[in-house]
Amino acid sequence: MILLEPHNTIIQTTLLDKIAKPSTLDVQFVDFDGVRFHLTSGDKKTMILLSMNIRCWDELARYGAMDILKREYGALVLDQPENEYNVSLMIDLEQVPQDPESRDAFVMSIAMLKRNALSATFERAFQEQKELETSGGKAELMEIHYRDEEAIYVQASPDRVTVIFSTIFREETDRIFGKVFLQEFVDARRQPSIQNAPQVLYTNRDPPLEIRHIAGLRSTEDTGYVTFVLFPRHFSKPDVAAATISHIQLFRDYLHYHIKCSKAYMHSRMRARVTEFQKVLNRAKAEVATGEKKTVSGRTMVHR
Amino acid sequence: MSPEVFSLSQTPITAHAFSADRKDIAVSLNSNDVQLYTRKGSDWTPTETLSEHDKLITSIDWAPVSNRIVTASQDRNAYVWTETTDAETGKLIWKPTLVLLRINRAATHVRWSPLENKFAVASGARAIAVCSFDEESNWWVAKHLKKPIRSTVLSVEWHPNNVLLAAGSADMKARVFSGYIKEVDERPAPSVWGSKLPFNTICGEYSSPAGGWVHAVGFSPSGDALAFASHDSSITIVYPGGPAIYTIRSPSLPLVTLAWTSEESIVAAGHDCKPLVYAGSEQGWQEVGTLDDSSSSRASEGSRSGFGSSSSVGRLKAGAFATFRDADSRGQSSLSGTATGLSDTKLNTIHQNTILSVRPYEVQGGYVTKVSTSAVDGTLVIWDTNEVSALAGKMGGVRI
Amino acid sequence: MSNVLRPYLAAVRSTLTAALTLEDFSSQVVERHNKPEVETRASKEVLLNPLVISRNENERVLIEPSVNSIRLSIKIKQADEIERILCHKFTRFMMQRAENFVVLRRKPVPGYDISFLITNTHTETMLKHKIVDFIIQFMEEVDKEISEMKLSLNARARIVAESYLTAVNA
Repeated sequence: MILLEPHNTIIQTTLLDKIAKPSTLDVQFVDFDGVRFHLTSGDKKTMILLSMNIRCWDELARYGAMDILKREYGALVLDQPENEYNVSLMIDLEQVPQDPESRDAFVMSIAMLKRNALSATFERAFQEQKELETSGGKAELMEIHYRDEEAIYVQASPDRVTVIFSTIFREETDRIFGKVFLQEFVDARRQPSIQNAPQVLYTNRDPPLEIRHIAGLRSTEDTGYVTFVLFPRHFSKPDVAAATISHIQLFRDYLHYHIKCSKAYMHSRMRARVTEFQKVLNRAKAEVATGEKKTVSGRTMVHR
Repeated sequence: MSPEVFSLSQTPITAHAFSADRKDIAVSLNSNDVQLYTRKGSDWTPTETLSEHDKLITSIDWAPVSNRIVTASQDRNAYVWTETTDAETGKLIWKPTLVLLRINRAATHVRWSPLENKFAVASGARAIAVCSFDEESNWWVAKHLKKPIRSTVLSVEWHPNNVLLAAGSADMKARVFSGYIKEVDERPAPSVWGSKLPFNTICGEYSSPAGGWVHAVGFSPSGDALAFASHDSSITIVYPGGPAIYTIRSPSLPLVTLAWTSEESIVAAGHDCKPLVYAGSEQGWQEVGTLDDSSSSRASEGSRSGFGSSSSVGRLKAGAFATFRDADSRGQSSLSGTATGLSDTKLNTIHQNTILSVRPYEVQGGYVTKVSTSAVDGTLVIWDTNEVSALAGKMGGVRI
Repeated sequence: MSNVLRPYLAAVRSTLTAALTLEDFSSQVVERHNKPEVETRASKEVLLNPLVISRNENERVLIEPSVNSIRLSIKIKQADEIERILCHKFTRFMMQRAENFVVLRRKPVPGYDISFLITNTHTETMLKHKIVDFIIQFMEEVDKEISEMKLSLNARARIVAESYLTAVNA
């Protein structure tokens, strides 16, 4: 599995279970970037309450997240979210469509709650870009502080939408691995098949020009800034736009996930290699012919 | 006659000494105890264990006439063992007598003098303790040879006249001392080394050619020549009468032990795992060959009599089990599944590891016809000194 | 084994065989003690001259012999940042398992990446030419392993980038 999936699997499986067999439910769980979910069944087992807590909800709300959610989920969105959460959906299991296909699609859209919330910023940027095409100028720079020390910055221009990620590499190894990966991202456009992919730029410590004016930006050795340049063809058609939004949100998690995978792979390689060396060294030890000790049942103890 | 090979143990044989009739042997198996074996047919069976030392025993010598064993150890002590009849059981057992060497570092080498009334102990205290028996006090008294030794003394050997002592040390020098003890010795006759030799006189001091530690020393049977082997892979023979010094440098690994077999030949051995033979006279010396003919060492494998290696019969030694165990623990896969799969681990010399000590075994008509060697691989081999084969131009085990 | 490496490894092999002529030597400084003289460095006369065999500035082997022990330190070729990190991780991984490896030293000698300490107890229990084989094989394999890890990292990076950008592109 190379690409990360934008929907939340737990929501999906739990809902499918409950639709088949309603019962009491109270689970709290988390998703990427510290997003918390809470699924409860109320007094009636067929009414399920799904609440989400996102760190950056206020910013998202400012960029029109509530409208997007109302558009997607309609009446399911509650005006007053659950206590300690930012948004809640009330799902009536009895109202779920019966036939498997539409039921799956329904459950899938619920599972995309986080993705839809974050998509607000991007949809607004796409819209602004269309407007700017004719009018010119630059739109407002939108910031989403979705993690403790990392943020996404989105800005629309007349001919493009720029998305800038700031990310922290906690270890030296991560930083160097990250550099290798990001260098490939930058160079990938050489390949004919993905010539039309968004342009990627990467800087190690200093923020790119577009966001330099923002206060409180980190510029230490372990910070990295990745810039994606989206051209209109990446979001002109609605389905293309939806796919772009889904993938672009998860970029930071995708990168760090693969860095960790590489580290684990290196680790297992090294372990295999070290066992090999151990075997070669064992060849140097002379045959311990007689010194073997035996237990009562006849098993031998091996001298290390 | 091919060499007799005895595999005494899996641990290194640090030192060995035969009794006068060669039926018994005392060895130190890299431990604090002396293990005595007696010969039964073509095997050696263990008899007694002599335990007194609390650190590694570095050297053993067995006096043939007076039948006493002296042992020296890293615990700074030496013991003299005499065989007496045990009061209770009536059997012959060995009883130890502690010798106060008064050294404050480990003892490395010990040898009885030819008349067996003295013995010399080399030590890491930069001194040699010459011990003689004091009849009145009924104990062994030690006198120290100190100047000008500046580092650990690695080996000592006596001159036939019972007075002169040769010592090789880690300060790269071989020296000849006078170990004359007034109470015990008679005035020695003048020799090529000098006359009028009070205790601690330096009769000769020789440096190793390239500055290597002097591992082994030895006087020729007449006492007129001194040979020493040092860590720079050289063996030097000194004739003070000449005066002449002959140095033979070899491309092989250093020699650590030597024994004169006649006035004109020496057997020496060391890290190359095979005994080398040198021959010469006052006119010059050169290397003649080796006692270990590699081609015959294959044949002698069959005659290898193990004694402690009771190859346990059972499924754990069976070919298939051994194959998979080797493949797992050593990454070795041998399709034949038998011991031949290990052929690349064996050296083509009889000894598989450094030879630590070579001693005369059998003397006939003034010539040493057999020598015994003991090595780090736990084997004892008795060689016939007449079977010298030329060294084929290999550099003794160095493979590229 | 690559041909360029051959003379370098041959030199290391012959030096090592000559240097592995170890014998038991009780300490001259402390009574009843037996320590590796190359580590204690207390008596100058029992230490032999250290020897450096170098292929170029970045690949060196330092051999420090003595009467009862020898210390061998290797500086592994690290051309860029990635190789440096990989080498560092690999040697650290090995050194944490130094007990299993008997002849490995837990900390490298300053200026080098990994060090081995071989004493007379090792040459007594193990076959000397096999120990030398191990060291030589180690030197070959380490270089190979690091370049293989780097290659796999680059390959993975390419695949990761491709998948992502294709997904965004479609």
